[in-house]
Amino acid sequence: MTTTIAQQEVALIDLVDRLLGGGVVIAGDITLAVADVDLVYVQLRALVSAVATAQEKGVLPRMGSAL
Amino acid sequence: MIELYAIAEQPAPDVPSPFRAVRAGSLVAVCGPADDEVTPEALWERETVLEGLMADRNLLPVRYGTRVEDEEAAARAVEERREHLAAALERVRGAVELSVRVVGEAGGAVHAPLLALARDAVVGRPQAPESHRAAYLVDRDVVQEFVDTVAALQRTTTNL
Repeated sequence: MTTTIAQQEVALIDLVDRLLGGGVVIAGDITLAVADVDLVYVQLRALVSAVATAQEKGVLPRMGSAL
Repeated sequence: MIELYAIAEQPAPDVPSPFRAVRAGSLVAVCGPADDEVTPEALWERETVLEGLMADRNLLPVRYGTRVEDEEAAARAVEERREHLAAALERVRGAVELSVRVVGEAGGAVHAPLLALARDAVVGRPQAPESHRAAYLVDRDVVQEFVDTVAALQRTTTNL
């Protein structure tokens, strides 16, 4: 069970890394989120921390795998 | 405000609601809701939709958090960058990006044999306890060989 939870957390962190570190950057007059991208990044990191806390408390909803 | 998720080519793919495929000349902007609150469920839903599209078409994922006013603005943004995006789609045509992370000490040793199977690669900065982090652009018909090679390296490399 512990392994599964750890894998889920790693999968989410991987996904966040991929979302923020990959992909085409469309610059110019496009808004990088309502908050700028740094704030999105902080928000996603906060999300990962919250997930880790939820896992410790055993209230984590089931998530898919990264690949 | 909507979020730009990916760039694809015509014909426009079928995407489940609330995602939308917006035509932009020869290209298609895959858009979706710009949620104010980020949840794991929303991220996985986005990922599932994009992976579904990637399974049988060439696709450029757009950096997370890229937002435009509405579908018209999405189409305009894509058309304004048509040349650049079309060239990028050409670069990845028939290939997939595979991320490889090695935890252990001997990470660098896996790069050469994997690069030999890839069309291109970008090596990133590993974050401890990783010793190697890279993304490989691999032709779709070479993916199985690439995966087999990773498995073989895992078996034969010490300190991996």
